[in-house]
Amino acid sequence: MTKPDPLPLVQGTLDLLVLQALASGPTHGYGIATLVHQRTDGHIAIEDAALYQALHRLDRQGLVDAEWRPSENNRRARYYTLTPDGRKRLREETANWRRYARAVDALLAGA
Amino acid sequence: MTAAHRPFWYLGRRPADLRSEIDEELRLHLDMRTEELVARGMAVEDARREALRQFGDLPGTREYCRRQDEDKEHRMQRALWIEDLLQDLRIGLRGLLRAPMTTLTIVVTVGLGIGATTVIFAAIDAALLRSLPYADPGRLVRIHTDAPPNRFPFSIADYLALRSQQTQFEQIAAYAVRVMAYTDGTVAERVQGRGVSWTYFSVLGVKPAIGRDFTEEDGKPGGPLAVILSRTFWQQHLGGRADRIGKPIQLDGAGYTVVGVLPEAVGPLERGQDLFVPVQFVTPPRKGPFFLTVVARLKRDGSRATAVEELHAINRRIFPLWRASYQDDKATWGMVDLQSYVIGDVRAIATLALFAVALVWLIACTNASNLLVARVTGRRRELAVRAALGASRGRVVRYLLAESLLLAVGAAAIGVALARLGAGLLREFGASYFPRTGEIVIDGPVLWLLVGLTAGSALLFGLVPAIHGSGGPVEDSLRASGRSSTGAVSVRRLRRILVGSQFAIATPLLVVAGLLLASLNQLGRVDLGFNPRNVLTGGILLPARQYSDSRAGAFWDELQRRVEAIPGVSVAAFSDARPPNDVNNFNNFDLEDAPTPSGQSQPVVPWVSVTPGYFQLLGLNLVRGRLLDKRDAVLPATAEQPVVVDRAWVRRFFPDRAAVGRRMRQGGCTTCPWTVVVGVVSEVKYVGLDQPNLGTIYAPLAPQTHARYIDVRTSVDPSRMLPAVRTAVRGLDAGLPFSNVATIDELVDRSLARPRSLSVLVATLASVALLLSVIGVYGVMAYYVQQHAKDIGIRLALGGSRGDLFRLIIGQGMTVVTGGVALGLLAALAATRAMSSLLFGVGAADVRTFAAVAVLMTVVAFAACALPARRAVGVHPATVLRDE
Repeated sequence: MTKPDPLPLVQGTLDLLVLQALASGPTHGYGIATLVHQRTDGHIAIEDAALYQALHRLDRQGLVDAEWRPSENNRRARYYTLTPDGRKRLREETANWRRYARAVDALLAGA
Repeated sequence: MTAAHRPFWYLGRRPADLRSEIDEELRLHLDMRTEELVARGMAVEDARREALRQFGDLPGTREYCRRQDEDKEHRMQRALWIEDLLQDLRIGLRGLLRAPMTTLTIVVTVGLGIGATTVIFAAIDAALLRSLPYADPGRLVRIHTDAPPNRFPFSIADYLALRSQQTQFEQIAAYAVRVMAYTDGTVAERVQGRGVSWTYFSVLGVKPAIGRDFTEEDGKPGGPLAVILSRTFWQQHLGGRADRIGKPIQLDGAGYTVVGVLPEAVGPLERGQDLFVPVQFVTPPRKGPFFLTVVARLKRDGSRATAVEELHAINRRIFPLWRASYQDDKATWGMVDLQSYVIGDVRAIATLALFAVALVWLIACTNASNLLVARVTGRRRELAVRAALGASRGRVVRYLLAESLLLAVGAAAIGVALARLGAGLLREFGASYFPRTGEIVIDGPVLWLLVGLTAGSALLFGLVPAIHGSGGPVEDSLRASGRSSTGAVSVRRLRRILVGSQFAIATPLLVVAGLLLASLNQLGRVDLGFNPRNVLTGGILLPARQYSDSRAGAFWDELQRRVEAIPGVSVAAFSDARPPNDVNNFNNFDLEDAPTPSGQSQPVVPWVSVTPGYFQLLGLNLVRGRLLDKRDAVLPATAEQPVVVDRAWVRRFFPDRAAVGRRMRQGGCTTCPWTVVVGVVSEVKYVGLDQPNLGTIYAPLAPQTHARYIDVRTSVDPSRMLPAVRTAVRGLDAGLPFSNVATIDELVDRSLARPRSLSVLVATLASVALLLSVIGVYGVMAYYVQQHAKDIGIRLALGGSRGDLFRLIIGQGMTVVTGGVALGLLAALAATRAMSSLLFGVGAADVRTFAAVAVLMTVVAFAACALPARRAVGVHPATVLRDE
C-alpha cells in the first residue's frame, strides 16, 4: 500500500500544532518536527523552515520560552517550553479547532 | 530569561549574538536530519543535500528568526530599563525617608527657590515679555509732548491738530481720567471712568462683548451721551441684564445711554476702569491744559522715522497759533511703543527681584548638594561594594541621580504649589506694585522655566555628589574605614568649596536687603513738613448738573460749619491736593523779574488750591508776609491773584532776595492778570517722600470748585471721627459720593507700600540664604569634628589646651566663611551699582551696610562653627579614645 501524499497545512494551524507538540514537555525544533510527523502518521507535512519561523514568532509573543540545554547526543540545543500564556493559547486554539472541524463535518455530512 | 531573575551584570544580547545563536540552532537541525537520513542508508553527501532540500528556505528563515528575536530583545531591554529605574526610585525613596530631616530641608528650601523664581518670572513674563493683548500690538504707540527731561500728555488743542493733520497713522485716540458720580436713584457712588475719543476702542482693536463700539456720532459736540461699561460694573450695578443696553444710566446727574459692555478680559489700559464715555471735543480757547494720553496705530507699511518726523512737523506748524498761551518752542512731540509706556519704570525692581529669587534657588541647591555629599560619603562603602560586584560607574551614578530626581520632583511639587499661590496673590493684590499683574498665568514659557529649574536642581545637587560618590578606585573606598582616609580629605575640600560659595552668594543678597531696608528707614524718617497725626481726608464730588456754582459754594460753607461743629474736630478745610503724593495740578509760570527766554521751558511746580483754614490745619509756619484769606478766593477776574509760596520755592527762585511781592504770569497766559506772592510758609511733601522739595505754590480754592478733598484735624483718633464726618456729608446730600477716605498717616504708609514690599521680599530671601549658609557651615564643622575626634582626643590626653584646640577647629570653618564673605562683598560692590535707582538716602556702596553685613555673616557663622567645636573639646579624651 502506498501512502497518500502528505496534506498541505491548513492555514493558521501551524502554531496550534507546535504548541500541542510542546504540551508533552520541552524539546528542540528537530524533536517537534519528528513528533508531529509520528503523531500524524506522516499525513501532515510541516516544512522545517516554517516550523523554525513559528518557534521564533511564538517566542517573541511570549507563548514559548527558549533555553540552551545539552541535547540527547550532548550538543547544545535550543529547547522550547510552553509558558503559561502558551498553555492558555493552546487550550483556546484546540477548542476553536474542534468547533471548526465539527462544523465542517456537519456540513459535509449533509451533502 | 525574564527580567526578574537575570544576573545583575546582564546587559542584554547584541545582534551578533542573536545571529550566531540562530545559526547554531539551524545547524543542529540539519545535522540531526542528516544523521537520520544516513541511518536509513543514504550516503552522507546525499543526506546533507536532502536535509537542506527538506528544510526549505534557509536564508529567509534565518532572516525571519533574527527579526523576531531582535524585536523581542528590544522590548525586553526597554522593560528592564524601566524596571531598573523604578527599582532605583524605590530604593532611593526608602533611603530618603530614612533621613527625613535632610530630605525635608532639601525639598522645602529648593521648593521655595523654584516657587519664588517661578512667580517672579511669571510676573515678568506677563508684564515685560508678553505683547499687549490688543490687535497687532506692535503697531501701537503712545504720543506725548517731549520736553526733556519730561514727557507730558497732550492738550485738546494738540489732539485736534494731530487728528486733522496726521497721515502716518491708521487712527489715533485719546483718553483721560474721568471720575464720575453714578446714581441708581437712591445712593451715589464715585466711579472710575475714562473720557475717551470715540476712536479709542477701534485703535486698540477691542470689541465690546455686548452692544456696539462708539461711533463718530458719539464724539460730535452736542450729540447724545453714550457710555460703554466694564463687565464688572455691568454685573454689579445693572445685574448683568442685557435689557439695560440701550437704556440710560445717571452719571454726574445726566443720562448716558449704555451702548456696550466690554469683554471680561481687558487690556492693561482698561483694567480697573468702571466705564468709558466719549469726549465731545470742542476747540479750546488756549493751548493747555495737558491731560490727554494719546494712543495711535501706525499704518501697516508705515515707517516710524517718518511718523516721528511728521509729529515734529505738525508741532512746529501749530506752534505760532498758540503763542499767546504757550511759549515753549523747545518742546516737541514724540512717541514710544505702547508696550514700553505700559511697562513704565519697573525694570529695575523686576530684575532685582528675579536675581534675588534665583540666587536663593542656587543657594538652596548648593546646600542640598552639600547635604547629599555628606550622605553619599557616609555610604561610600555601600556604593563601593556595589561597584565591586560589577555595577558600572554609570549605573551607580544613575542610582544616585534617581535619588536627586525624587528630591527635585518633591521640590517642584512644593514649587508649583508656591508659584500658584504667589501668582494668585499677585493677580489679586499686585496691581499697585507692578503692571499687568492681572494677566499673570503659569503656562507657556513659565512652565518651561519650572521644568528647567527642576531639572537644573536635580543636576546641580545630584551630579556633584553622584560623581563624588562613584569616583575613586574601588579598593581605596573599601579599605578606608571612613575615617582619616584620603577620601575624607577630598570630601572636606568639596564641602568647603560648596559652603564657601553659599556664603559668597548669600552676602550680596544680604547687602541688597540691607540697602533696601536702610532706604526704607530713610524714607520713613523723611520730614513731611507738618504733624501728620490725626488728619482725616476724603474726596467729595458735586454733580455739576445739580449744583450751580453758587449752590456749590453754599454747600461747601455749610459742610465746613457742620464738620467743625462735630466734637473732637478742631479744624476743617478744603484742598485739591493731599500730602505726601497726591497733586491734582502742576502749573507753569513766568516770573516778572526773571522771564524765561523764548524757546525755553517755563518752571513747573505743584499748584495746590486750598481754603484759608488749610495752613492752620497742617500747622504750617508763616515765614514772611501773610496767609491767604477768604476774600482772596472771590477777587474780580481782573485783579492781581494772590498766592502763597513755600520756602523751597523761595530758595529756588529768589535765593537772596525777598519773595513777597514778586509777580508772575501763570499757565503760559500772557494777557491774564498778574499772580502775586503774598506770603511764604514752610515746606510740605506733595510729590512723594523720595522727591526733593522743589517749591510749591498755594492758590485760593475757588468757592465753586466741584471736586475737592475735605481735610479734618481731630483731637482724637481720626478713624473714630469718620462716621460723624460721613453723617455730616449725608445730612447735606444723601446722594453724594464720599470716597478715597484716608488719614494722612495711612496715605504716607500707602506711599511706602512698594519699597516696603520689595524690602520685605528681598530681606526674607536674604534670611533664607543666610540660614542655608549657616546650616552648610555647621554641617561641615560637625563632619570635621567627627573625622578628627581621635586627633582631638589624643591632643587633649597629651595635655593640649582646650582653648588652642577650639581656636584651631574654629579656624577650619572661619577661613571658608571669611573667604566666601569677602568674595560676596566684592560681588555686591559690583552689583549694587545697578540698583541705585531703587535707593533713597543711602549710597549703593554704603560702607555701614557692607560692614554690618560682613559682621553679621561672620558672627552667625562663628556661632555655627563654635557649637560643634565646643562639643568636641568638651568631651573627655578617654571617651573618644575608648570609642576607637
